[in-house]
Amino acid sequence: MKRYLLKRVTTGLLTVLIAIVLNFFLIHIAPGDPIRIMAGMDHPSSEQLEALYVRYGLDKPLLVQLGQYIVNLLHGDFGTSYTYNKPVVSLILETMGPSILLALTSCVLAFVLGTLLGLFAARHQGRWMDNLLSYVSYLFDSMPPFWLGLVAILVFASTLHWLPTSGMVNLRNPQQGFGYVLDVLTHLLLPCATMTLIQIPQYLRLTRSSVTQVMQEDYIITFRATGMSEKTIFRRYVLKNAILPTLTAFGISLAYVVAGAALVEIVYAWPGTGRLMLNAINRRDYPLLMGIYLMIAISVSVITMIVDILYAWLDPRIRLK
Amino acid sequence: MALLEIRDLCVDYLMQEGSVHAVDHVSLTLEEGSSLGLVGESGSGKSTLGMAILRLLPEKTARVTGSAVFQGEELLTMPESRLRQVRWQELAAVFQKSMNALSPVHRIGSQMADVYRLHHPEADKAACRARVLEVLRQVDLAERVYKLYPHELSGGMMQRVSIALSLINHPRLVIFDEATTALDVITQGQILKEIQRLEKDLGLTRMMITHDISVVATSCTHVAVLYAGRLMEVGPAASVLRSPAHPYTAGLMAAFPSLTGEKKPLQGIPGFLPDLTQTIPGCVFAPRCPYATEACRTAQPPLESIEPGWQAACHHRLREVNNHG
Ligand SMILES: Nc1ncnc2c1ncn2[C@@H]1O[C@H](COP(=O)(O)OP(=O)(O)O)[C@@H](O)[C@H]1O
Ligand SMILES: [Mg+2]
Repeated sequence: MKRYLLKRVTTGLLTVLIAIVLNFFLIHIAPGDPIRIMAGMDHPSSEQLEALYVRYGLDKPLLVQLGQYIVNLLHGDFGTSYTYNKPVVSLILETMGPSILLALTSCVLAFVLGTLLGLFAARHQGRWMDNLLSYVSYLFDSMPPFWLGLVAILVFASTLHWLPTSGMVNLRNPQQGFGYVLDVLTHLLLPCATMTLIQIPQYLRLTRSSVTQVMQEDYIITFRATGMSEKTIFRRYVLKNAILPTLTAFGISLAYVVAGAALVEIVYAWPGTGRLMLNAINRRDYPLLMGIYLMIAISVSVITMIVDILYAWLDPRIRLK
Repeated sequence: MALLEIRDLCVDYLMQEGSVHAVDHVSLTLEEGSSLGLVGESGSGKSTLGMAILRLLPEKTARVTGSAVFQGEELLTMPESRLRQVRWQELAAVFQKSMNALSPVHRIGSQMADVYRLHHPEADKAACRARVLEVLRQVDLAERVYKLYPHELSGGMMQRVSIALSLINHPRLVIFDEATTALDVITQGQILKEIQRLEKDLGLTRMMITHDISVVATSCTHVAVLYAGRLMEVGPAASVLRSPAHPYTAGLMAAFPSLTGEKKPLQGIPGFLPDLTQTIPGCVFAPRCPYATEACRTAQPPLESIEPGWQAACHHRLREVNNHG
């Protein structure tokens, strides 16, 4: 296990490094003169351009530039967003909290609910509850997240007035203590529910098929032959074996949500990184965009690394590979 | 009284295309302390018979009729609660694919301890562990196997684990289904010897399902030959294997290398198993039998006694053929 841990952390760091290098070259593939784009103005003065050239060291050889870029990153210098006129790092840090809150709660909820429903469906295979669940799951699976979000707003916020339509806090409500938490939670409810609902189907189907498959394994017959009750077999042996593929899906989906919740964040005006990214794209804010890309790349590799390690801890066969 | 008495056992797999008659009116008797080798080529219904006795066939798709009386109790209609007590305390099994016989993500020792605790709820952790280590020792495995995972062992070692597991609750009868088939000849030989030693020490009765008649020759006191779900010949292994009465038994013997090292060309039996969805009026082996006559194709030969405890179902028993010619 220790050896696996070491190996996995090393490859994780390597992935991050590759992401950094790729990201660096993105500046150079970006259409047009990157400095002009970074300057972002129609007619930048030559002094301004000169300053940027020196700042990014573009007069130096490419490898030196790469080194400088990495050193800058290590110092927490991701550049400056010209549309917000703020350091990229602080913009990302500001929006990361809300994003992680939304991503993590919805992913964990979807994982838990989807897996439970999948287990239920597997145990009632072929009966009406199982059929109903699979219809409903296909229904939610085929809904675009932003559409579902809009419908939810229309019903629960605009029509029923049960929940706020957008944002993360209401400035008229208390800004600290229990009141604040409650305020955030009520704002979180709709976007979180939307993202949870669209993720549940994959866990449901995966768990259901995984359980079905494990139930046909030879060791299930062994345990049955020993006189172990079906309930005990299920609790002690089916569950742990069947949950493993679901765990991989959880990692992938968490990584995906970090990058892909943008549309839901937009619909609900959720102050997260996804919304920031969409703004950056719309306004061609390259430094900001690059910073966000890098953040996403790093989060994805860290998340997959954690999930892989968790997987290895649960499944001894992985550790050998 | 016999330990296990199987009477007119039939198993049909209910398929969309019709039902497969996998076991067809088989009657067998296992005396306490004996070891019965159940042989026949692949697909002849051996595993089905074993699984039927263990009550492990899927109820929805397999229809089992007849009777199997084990220690005076009917296994086939035994209530679930009693069955769970009988399982592993009286009747245990070792299955073919031992590499998958245990969960891959749990330690071997903890799984074995789980099975022990099932029938010894009063046993504490230390007692369970001690019992697991004891059976591991009995099959010549090191203590460290306790904390290993199945994939960390070789096929032969996992086979020993499976055997150890079958012994853990002191059963009376153990059914081995192709338990040594996947092993190399040397490991197979070692394990067969160990099984026989354990059997003597522990007073076990054994049913040995195999397609390899040499396994029967080396390790069983009795043999039953199954073909297309029907019993062809049954009797003391020594007598049957010395001079088989049924042409199919003779064919099986010719198809395997002799264990005594006698060099002779191996002969397969030409032809294939019949379609088991059809009801065959005559002898099921007739289409492949060199001695078959019209009678064989129209009338099913009954099991007839050759010597006490030795029977064969054939119109042209080889002993008579031999005696007359
Ligand atoms: N679950 C099943 N469903 C349908 N047919 C089966 C099933 N298991 C076995 N059979 C059929 O029953 C016959 C006997 O199979 P089996 O008992 O596995 O033979 P053996 O163990 O002697 O190789 C074969 O024709 C096989 O195809
Ligand atoms: Mg078989």
